[in-house]
Amino acid sequence: MSNVNEKKIGKIISISNLNVQMLLDHSEVSLRSGLCTYIGDRRVSFEVAQIAGGIAKAIPLTSVNGLKKGMDVYLLPKGIEIEYSDNILGKVFNSYGQLIDGQTIESPSTRNIYDKNLTLSEIDINGAVLWTGIKALDFFAPMQKGYKMGMLGGAGVGKTVLIKELINNVYRGWGSNSVFAGIGERSREGKELYDEMMESGLMDKLAVVFGQMGESSMARSRAAYSGLTLAEYLRDERNQDVLLFIDNIYRFVQANAEISAEIGNMPIESGYSTTLLSDVSEIEERINSTDNGSITSFQAVFIPADDITDMAVNTIMSHLDGQVVLSRKVAEKGIYPAVDVFNTTSKLLTVEGVGERHFRLAERAVAALARYQELEEVVAVLGIDELSEEDTNIFYRARKLRNYFSQPFFVSEQFTGIPGVFVKIEDVLDDVEAILTGEYDSVDESHFLFVGKIPEIKQTAIY
Amino acid sequence: MSDKIQDVISSKIDAIKSGQNVYAVGKVVRVSNYILEVAGLEDGFYFERVYIGDKAEGYITHIGKSSVTIELVKRVAAVFVGDEVTSSGKLFSAMVSTDFVGHIVDIFGEDKFTGNKFKDLVEIPAVPTNIPIMDRTTVNRPLYTGISGIDLMYPIGRGQRQLILGDKKTGKTQMGLDAIANQRGQDVVCIYVALGKTKKTVKEVYNELLNRGAMEYTIIYAAFQEDCAPMMYITPQVALSLATQFMARGSDVLVVIDDLTQHANVYREISLLAGKVPGRDAFPPDIFFAHASMLELGCQHKDGGSITILPIVETRGGDITDYVVTNIISITDGQIVTSTKFFEKGQKPAINFGLSVSRLGGQVQIPSMKKLGTSVRRELLSYLETKEIFELANIDEMSVEMRTKLLMGKEMLERMKQYRFSPLDPDGMVERFKEFAENEI
Repeated sequence: MSNVNEKKIGKIISISNLNVQMLLDHSEVSLRSGLCTYIGDRRVSFEVAQIAGGIAKAIPLTSVNGLKKGMDVYLLPKGIEIEYSDNILGKVFNSYGQLIDGQTIESPSTRNIYDKNLTLSEIDINGAVLWTGIKALDFFAPMQKGYKMGMLGGAGVGKTVLIKELINNVYRGWGSNSVFAGIGERSREGKELYDEMMESGLMDKLAVVFGQMGESSMARSRAAYSGLTLAEYLRDERNQDVLLFIDNIYRFVQANAEISAEIGNMPIESGYSTTLLSDVSEIEERINSTDNGSITSFQAVFIPADDITDMAVNTIMSHLDGQVVLSRKVAEKGIYPAVDVFNTTSKLLTVEGVGERHFRLAERAVAALARYQELEEVVAVLGIDELSEEDTNIFYRARKLRNYFSQPFFVSEQFTGIPGVFVKIEDVLDDVEAILTGEYDSVDESHFLFVGKIPEIKQTAIY
Repeated sequence: MSDKIQDVISSKIDAIKSGQNVYAVGKVVRVSNYILEVAGLEDGFYFERVYIGDKAEGYITHIGKSSVTIELVKRVAAVFVGDEVTSSGKLFSAMVSTDFVGHIVDIFGEDKFTGNKFKDLVEIPAVPTNIPIMDRTTVNRPLYTGISGIDLMYPIGRGQRQLILGDKKTGKTQMGLDAIANQRGQDVVCIYVALGKTKKTVKEVYNELLNRGAMEYTIIYAAFQEDCAPMMYITPQVALSLATQFMARGSDVLVVIDDLTQHANVYREISLLAGKVPGRDAFPPDIFFAHASMLELGCQHKDGGSITILPIVETRGGDITDYVVTNIISITDGQIVTSTKFFEKGQKPAINFGLSVSRLGGQVQIPSMKKLGTSVRRELLSYLETKEIFELANIDEMSVEMRTKLLMGKEMLERMKQYRFSPLDPDGMVERFKEFAENEI
């Protein structure tokens, strides 16, 4: 049953789904210690979440079915650990650092997933601009190496597709080592991503952690820490510029809420865990760049009930350097990526960051689209003929602009039937300027939908 | 109170004297509807099946320091404080039989028509285990519903989870039944899970499927409002557990869960009665996981079998941004949203094309359907959007391009109409929509 270096430290006295209490007869147990018990040959592991006097509350890592009162509990020599070496590349781990892709690592060298913390002086905030080739992102929310970019959106508006396109454009283009943390998302999508990476021979530079939505709360919560530890290895030990893709960081908060409620902590609004702020900051503060290397992260953020004022979403947002908000209203019109330009921003979108021209054009584009929204209501009531000439121009140009920011993605060729395109920022700036100044007033708006840069449009228009 | 303790003690002593195992029995000390608190039962383990005489049975959901909490799944007679509880030494499980096909059944292996248990019952886990991520593979084989608005526009593949979402009385169940009826001869085992439906409704469903020969390959799982709430909570899990058994044997399974809104409400009820901390909208904090752990069983297994799940969810006032609704949308691989407006106008099946999505798209379509579907979807969506904006404009004053678009869109919408149980096969759909493929820009 139990292994020689596991020391018996107490007995189970109470059991519920995510909360098992133990009466301890040793004081060596501390928070986040690993414990375990045995049902026949099956080992059930726990992580200590609270200690009050001689009683510890521990969270089970797997199902508690079959657990009994009075069972002996053993202290594991280590808490949750994950491989910390070059061996992580090309491998797939579960949240607890175990390989799940059938591979093995000889002479593993592991590290606790909670260890790391950065000081103020260690953090590096400079970096070069990073173009993604996605028009709406580069234009409205430009990205810098070392940034944390959030992809926010309600259910089914295209967050995961956007993350996949970013993996395609940035990871393939950059050629740097990367980490993908799948937290609480669909297993199907996770597996498909893995298969695609294998097929295109790109797995050798990627390390993957999966704690998907069919798994326990603890697995979903810890996937975030495990993924981070892998990224930190590449940054700190290999001095690399690492890309970290997290899909989806909201699920981490959600899993913590489930655990917190079961432990009996009082919830805050919408049932989130009492420690929401510190939970998020514990993760996000580790995603930073140092003198050794950088971590650039793309994080998908689910918006529950399409409520962007949600407490968890806002907490995550406060850590981000830039955000792309995807909106259902835009998606309904069949425009993908369904970017809501009014909420999409980046700290880099300043004259100093991207230059005078880009900055001014972005301002003009947002202003035109804002006016269009107002005009849309007027048109719905009075019809287009009632608009002044200036407004009519804005109305049609803004519609073209809106269509222009749709883009065929490489990863969604199977839906659109149109091959993906990578658009250079210079082309985007030229095109936006041309649309806004009326160069394309005679071209029908449908020619702007799902294209790359505009010269292609001219050709199709003539055709 | 001291009498009660005295009672418990003396009954234990009696039990010791008569040689029974005192650790395997307990006494009910509190009854709160279908949730019992039991003293004793020291040896009980988590999720163990327990019996309260022949009055009721359930499972252990919490083991406290001095008592055990039990949720009743089945109750034939009222349970009183003081009733004896015995444990079974086994995890709560469900009974299934190979004769299930063609019948309305429950998780105990009872034929709901006759009230008798099936012969040759086999035990299966009530709560199926998650399918490891590495055992899954690409979903790419189509599962035809026979509805062109689905098969052409938002196709479903074997192993996909496609949500059917909409207000009351907009034809959601009908879409699920259409999908089941269209599996005739397709080598798919179908399971229809009726949660909290009236007996009349379930019988109607049975008759509809029977009349179309669909009961030859279909099992109907039913949990009624009069059953204990935990029964309704666990029934879809049992249905999916059975589905995983079929899948393990290489079969393709289609599970229609009608509906998950009931399931969420029932779970909320149980959890609040059990005194758990409520989360958003008073739902339990792990409501997302409750749904995800079931729907994640839908997959294409690497060994060949598959489970396709069509969960049905009811919206109120057409609001698809409700908490539970967005949760489920974020689990499934797409959604077919029904539209009250279309339903009233006779545009049936009333699919809201703008809000519906298939995340798998062309991946699960044969080439001819994929090519046609892409252009039909683009044209139709563009028409619906344009129509809204130019609702008031005079069609005669429009550009030729715009006028053709509007007229074509209208025609396309007209051809999407299909009466219930009148499926089209892929060839039929290609035939019906082929002229729109040529209008591609």
